[in-house]
Amino acid sequence: MNIRLFCIFLLCLNGYSLFSQDSLYSSLTIPENLTKNANAVVRLDQTSIEIVSINEMIETRHFIITVMNKIGDRSVESIVYYDNNIKVKDLKASMYDEHGVQIKKFKKNDFKDISAVGGGTLYSDARNIYLDYTPIKYPYTLEFISIVSTRNTAFIPSFDPIEGYFTSVENSSYIIKYPSNLSIRKKEQELKGIDVSVDAIDGKITYSISNVEAYKPESYSPPFRITVPKVLFALNEFNYEGVTAKVENWGAMGKWFNDNLLIGRTALPEGTVAEIKALIKEDDSDLEKAKKVYKYVQDNTRYISVQVGIGGMQPISATDVDKVKYGDCKGLTNYTRSLLEIVGVKSYYTRLYASPYNQLDVDEDFVSFGGQTNHVILNIPQENKEDIWLECTSQKVPFGFIGDFTDDRDVLVITPEGGKIKHTKKYATEENIQTIKGKYAISNEGTIDVNVEVSSKGIQYDDKFMLESETQRDLDVHYKKRWRYINNMDINNMDIINDKENIEFIETLNFQATNYPKIVTNRMLLTVNALNRNIEVPDRYRDRKLPLQIKRGFKDIDEVEIKLPDDYKVESLPKGITIENKFGNYHYEVIEKNENTLIYKREFVVNDGEFPKEDYDDFRNFYKAVSRHDNAKVALIKK
Amino acid sequence: MKKVIVSLVLLFVLQIASSQDYKFGKVSKEELEEKYNPMDSSASATYLYKKRRTFFVYNTNDGFELITEVHERIKIYNQEGFDYATRIINLSKYNSDEEKVSGLKGYTFNLIDGKIEETKLKKDGIFESEEHDYLDRTKFTMPNIKEGSVIEYEYRIGSPFYWNVDEFVFQEDIPIKKIDARFEAPEYFNFKINTKGFLMITPDRETTRDKITFTDKVRTGGNGLYDGAARTSYQNTNVEFSKEIYNYSLENVPALKEEPYVNSIDNYRSAVKYELSYTKFPNTTMKFYSTTWEDVVKTIYKSSSFGTELDKSGYYDDDINNLISTVSDPIEKINLIYNYVKARVKWNGYYGKYTNDGVRKAYKEQAGNVAEINLMLTSMLRYAGLNANPVLVSTRKNGIPLFPTRDGYNYVISAVEVPNDVILLDATSKYAMPNVLPFRTLNWEGRVIRKDGSNETINLYPNEKSQNTISMLADLNDMASLEGGIRYVKSSHKAMSFREDYLETNKEQFLEDLENKYNGMEIADFEVKNDTELSKPVMETFKFSLENQADIIGDKIYFSPLFFLKTKENPFKLEKREFPVDFGYPSKNKYMVNIKLPEGYKVESAPEPIILQLPDNLGVYKYNIVLKQSAVQLIVEAEINQAIISPLYYDALKEYFKQLIEKENEQIVLTKA
Repeated sequence: MNIRLFCIFLLCLNGYSLFSQDSLYSSLTIPENLTKNANAVVRLDQTSIEIVSINEMIETRHFIITVMNKIGDRSVESIVYYDNNIKVKDLKASMYDEHGVQIKKFKKNDFKDISAVGGGTLYSDARNIYLDYTPIKYPYTLEFISIVSTRNTAFIPSFDPIEGYFTSVENSSYIIKYPSNLSIRKKEQELKGIDVSVDAIDGKITYSISNVEAYKPESYSPPFRITVPKVLFALNEFNYEGVTAKVENWGAMGKWFNDNLLIGRTALPEGTVAEIKALIKEDDSDLEKAKKVYKYVQDNTRYISVQVGIGGMQPISATDVDKVKYGDCKGLTNYTRSLLEIVGVKSYYTRLYASPYNQLDVDEDFVSFGGQTNHVILNIPQENKEDIWLECTSQKVPFGFIGDFTDDRDVLVITPEGGKIKHTKKYATEENIQTIKGKYAISNEGTIDVNVEVSSKGIQYDDKFMLESETQRDLDVHYKKRWRYINNMDINNMDIINDKENIEFIETLNFQATNYPKIVTNRMLLTVNALNRNIEVPDRYRDRKLPLQIKRGFKDIDEVEIKLPDDYKVESLPKGITIENKFGNYHYEVIEKNENTLIYKREFVVNDGEFPKEDYDDFRNFYKAVSRHDNAKVALIKK
Repeated sequence: MKKVIVSLVLLFVLQIASSQDYKFGKVSKEELEEKYNPMDSSASATYLYKKRRTFFVYNTNDGFELITEVHERIKIYNQEGFDYATRIINLSKYNSDEEKVSGLKGYTFNLIDGKIEETKLKKDGIFESEEHDYLDRTKFTMPNIKEGSVIEYEYRIGSPFYWNVDEFVFQEDIPIKKIDARFEAPEYFNFKINTKGFLMITPDRETTRDKITFTDKVRTGGNGLYDGAARTSYQNTNVEFSKEIYNYSLENVPALKEEPYVNSIDNYRSAVKYELSYTKFPNTTMKFYSTTWEDVVKTIYKSSSFGTELDKSGYYDDDINNLISTVSDPIEKINLIYNYVKARVKWNGYYGKYTNDGVRKAYKEQAGNVAEINLMLTSMLRYAGLNANPVLVSTRKNGIPLFPTRDGYNYVISAVEVPNDVILLDATSKYAMPNVLPFRTLNWEGRVIRKDGSNETINLYPNEKSQNTISMLADLNDMASLEGGIRYVKSSHKAMSFREDYLETNKEQFLEDLENKYNGMEIADFEVKNDTELSKPVMETFKFSLENQADIIGDKIYFSPLFFLKTKENPFKLEKREFPVDFGYPSKNKYMVNIKLPEGYKVESAPEPIILQLPDNLGVYKYNIVLKQSAVQLIVEAEINQAIISPLYYDALKEYFKQLIEKENEQIVLTKA
């Protein structure tokens, strides 16, 4: 046993009475419970933020992480982000083997410097410096120290101790120091049930947590970002790109944003003004005007990702967008707003967090300049009815349709009078409808011949409208995958109508497939639901941790007429069923219309909502039952 | 394998006379009015014109420079084609040498009320970025793009890396209406032409004369009494040389479309690569780069990052002496050394046939690139007295090296010749085994280089089938639930991919994923044997229970005897296929299923046995069923005998899967006894 190991051994005996960093280099000292579900264990993570003045912030990070296996490599954030405003002052790292013996040291020059954005972004000054190393053996431990400084104090790093799924935390702490002339706001999230200590004295706040077991992803759960412990910080007074701001609420933040970053960017050349005015008729309502302008934007511009303009926060001016006819979300939203201004329709620049899976709110109680949003859309306020929201980066979506990218969340609407928190449109269960009307015939040989019309609205429209742009070859493959339980599909006809006015997507298909029913001696077994079978059952968890969240509801209504083969008659029909519970309802029935015609009716509704984790099994059983009934078979026998 | 290449259908490009004006800026109304490409109505955009000229210029200070001029005109039909309005120019750099772009100009043309309107690409649409130490990028996006726009741009790239001429790409993801390409090489540079893809591409060649004018400073006088005062004069010298010119002219090149089970679509993209064979400057000796396989091999072998590295042994000799001191059996030696290298040096994720930091450093630091690891391995095997040689490989992503080229190979493995056999080794992957190479390397043929400099191709696709033998013993009850035990025994590549999956994931997660893969199967007594004993087949066993495995209708029970093991969907959904289907390795799945019937039931009817055959012994499927008193026994074997299947067999392959799925869907009917 070498000396170091012996020391670790002693330390263990001492029960950590003496806190020693050395012991953290060895994987042997990880507490048992932290290895559960963990690909990596954060042994120590110390973030120290020092706000020297309104114009200077220094962030020091020191972490020690033990990586248990190859997947755990991804939890190692041995990376530093910088751009024109951020200086990397120091950077070093060391690697240790499982016994805590140092095997490698890295200096700043050993790190690699690359562009932080992929090929999809045209330009950005964002860069990353990262450590490119090869683990020789697992487990290993990496220690990392970085110091960066910036003049912007608009974004203050959060205390965000959970790196991601499958990573546990032994100790993580955060210290923020600030001068007495500045005041700081903070917001805590999900600290209940966690070993946390807080210490706040004048000019210094400290948080530390320890012993947090690894999180595991679970389907139908709330977004990761809001299920983990976290503390957000912001200064009431900050510097952004040389401009100082003093804001304590969203109203003032919006006002500042408007006055410093938006104002004076709506001017348009005369030609365009005239063009827009010519589009509008005198007696057009505001709604009609807005629709015409939106169409103009969709027809004339395209989206390009360019992270320029003051720190990536200020939109390119409307004049510039008008000249080149492209822009990013900020530029295109500002452009649309400028065009609407010409025709006298009020609209507002709106910042929000866009993601189909993470419907994250802008926090009404916590004002911060950045960190809560990643996208911009346009708000057209309406009196006595729901506001209109416009996604200005898409040439395809119908007017006022925002889909799952930005629906149902709190957003910051910026008006000249100040900022307001509003909620975007929620697509309710009853709006997300798919209706299937179909007919199919089965031949004596078992060939199915289908004519079907599928109409989709709401979020179900969102799921499908991109199909309009597919080539015939890819569309053919798409339908074969959608009905993948039908072998040997041969599609004769595919017809798509994208009704943008009513926001309805209608697909009409005719296809055949051989050997659809199972033929056994003189019987035929026909799975009566040929066109809308639920195949996926939500995953099972031995020990569900997170609540059940159904983000969006939907309703499927099917009615299909079935022509039976001439030589067969019904031997037995499935009885049908009605299931109702808090998650939704399911109903199907098979009606004998006449001797060789059946009618199949089905309705499947799942409501959105949040339920305690204990309900998850019932929810899963609901889906299992639906799957089972969707497989119900009609038995036919030779006449 | 040759047969497959030869049998690929060659596309001939139609030569259609065209009156189109391709001068820069001369975009026509017809081009702007065109609503879709008449040759391919699904195209979202089309190159109306694609022109490139690559040639050499001589600068007195820097010597030869490679110049590439590009002029392209693209029609954008709809919004899906808008992406083609943004272009990226990659510029290599190395130390202070860098490629530079100049003369970039571009216009967008639109038809507005019957009039052609042009918008100029301005500075604000051009972006320069540094990707990393060896790559800069100039990106530009065209202004004023609408459905129907035509864009046109031109630029020039100057490159000091004259030995590296970028591929002339003649086929894109969208159709091309007309291509003009020209390559000019002074006699000092001899290039080899490598053509790939299905287009018939032959250049028109011509030879012309050209000259370089050197301006020399001449000093005369100043040497002694009678020489006069020192003076400087300038003197022009002309050096004449001949120039080889290659012209390409193609029309209506179809788009290249992605297909599943293709190793890399770029393998089939039509392109021409000029690779420098040798240089011969006046008054110097020839410098060879490559021409024949012998030259290629020689160049690579002679490189200090290959041959020299292979010959070093001082850094490991003691360790290897200790390792094999008591062993005399060659196979045992191979295994010892192979496992030693795998355990000692970890792959850092970088490819390469040349070493980066060198074998010595890789050995010391315990991490290295592909060449460092496998050249070290080869060297150690030689040191141990084995007949080991490096094998150059082109990975699946890198394409197929059909012609002698240095760049064609990007990877190296090791081959040991033993009596009557060759053993291929790659020590970069933890779970690879002798003759079971990582999937990335399974790409046609490699080239083995022997000590005496001779070389020969070697098949990289395994001959031995990867097997998965599945035995299941289960009880079906009259409530349609299935309960029982299952065992999977996997060999070769199937074992390797199982190990990669199983040993690199959290165990609990693995089990949960497995249960969810079968829609809520409940698993107990899960056990894996030989997971780390790579020389043995890996064995996975567990007990399971699963609901809804049969249909109960009236007093009858119907079920497919393969239950959840059956093949669910046909992997081949495209109506027609252009490129070979590449499975990577031959395989065999064997199912042995014993089902105990529910009490009180007997078999009323059962599927017939069947044998399905793919043509030319490419594959076979056997389905056999034996009925017993209260049990059913099923044996199913599915074999694919070749790693690569020509598209000529696509219909047969699709039909084979169709019938196989139908067979596995057939039902056993039970009635009350």
